[in-house]
Amino acid sequence: MSNKKGEKLISVYWFAILVIVATGIVLMVNSFYGKTYDVRDVESKILADKVADCIYFGGKVNSLLLTPQGVFREDFRDRFMELCSLNFDVKGEFTPTPYYVEVQFFSFGDLRVMFETSVGNNNFKPDCNSKVENAEKLAKCNENQFYMKTNSNKIYLVKILSIVGKTDENTF
Amino acid sequence: MEKRGEILVENIIFIVLNIAFLSILVIFLLNQGSGESILEDSYSKQVALLIDSAKPGMIMRVNFENAKEVSDENGISFSEILLINDQYVTTKLNEDSGRSYHFFNDINVSSYYPEKNNDGDFTGFYVLTFSRKNVE
Repeated sequence: MSNKKGEKLISVYWFAILVIVATGIVLMVNSFYGKTYDVRDVESKILADKVADCIYFGGKVNSLLLTPQGVFREDFRDRFMELCSLNFDVKGEFTPTPYYVEVQFFSFGDLRVMFETSVGNNNFKPDCNSKVENAEKLAKCNENQFYMKTNSNKIYLVKILSIVGKTDENTF
Repeated sequence: MEKRGEILVENIIFIVLNIAFLSILVIFLLNQGSGESILEDSYSKQVALLIDSAKPGMIMRVNFENAKEVSDENGISFSEILLINDQYVTTKLNEDSGRSYHFFNDINVSSYYPEKNNDGDFTGFYVLTFSRKNVE
């Protein structure tokens, strides 16, 4: 009799262990699959690459960026979205755009800002310097820079800051 | 003899319960890995990123085989699972679900259609073709 009692006791403990293991697996699986894929890092890099290609592609400066005399054209700033094939319009009348792009052209020697333009939602900009623990809830920033040589042999340092918000779509 | 029989029945019940328990766990894991919402989320984002990096004149062939399996199970036609409209990519694998993701590239997705083989069956791939938007 005592042997049988012992077997039953083992069975109860066995199922208790199974329940504990199952609960652990369910929690682990939920923590892995429960989160959405966060693609904002890649997205901000693609955005920066697209802007870089728009400004300087194959060793040639965009003909609409500079005048033949090598002066930056103001209308490039005004038509930046159209010329670089960007569309930040989102659904919803009062929904702010989840993107921000800033381009700065520095002179090669003294690193003075010669020309700059920005589009999108600049409220995301402070997120780039923020060092909080739950950084997932902040916008993702990407900084790129490259040198650009114009037809008149002037060299500029081009810095591109691209930011993607979209916190709701990429985090829970 | 009677006692031995009792032990056998108890053991069988114990083993059956164990197998049932583990089966439920495995089914749960498999369902989680191929869940509709996860696939909808990942496909809409992947296609949006592909469009973001696309250039006019490109033709892309995107693998939707996993999505096809789920949409077939749910009775949704494969030709209706992808919608690209107003800068949004929407993937829908169930009548009541669907995920959308915005893309920033102002490019014209001139056509997107499910690829068919010689027999007229869907291959599980979508073909996307891109062209320049008409700028005034």
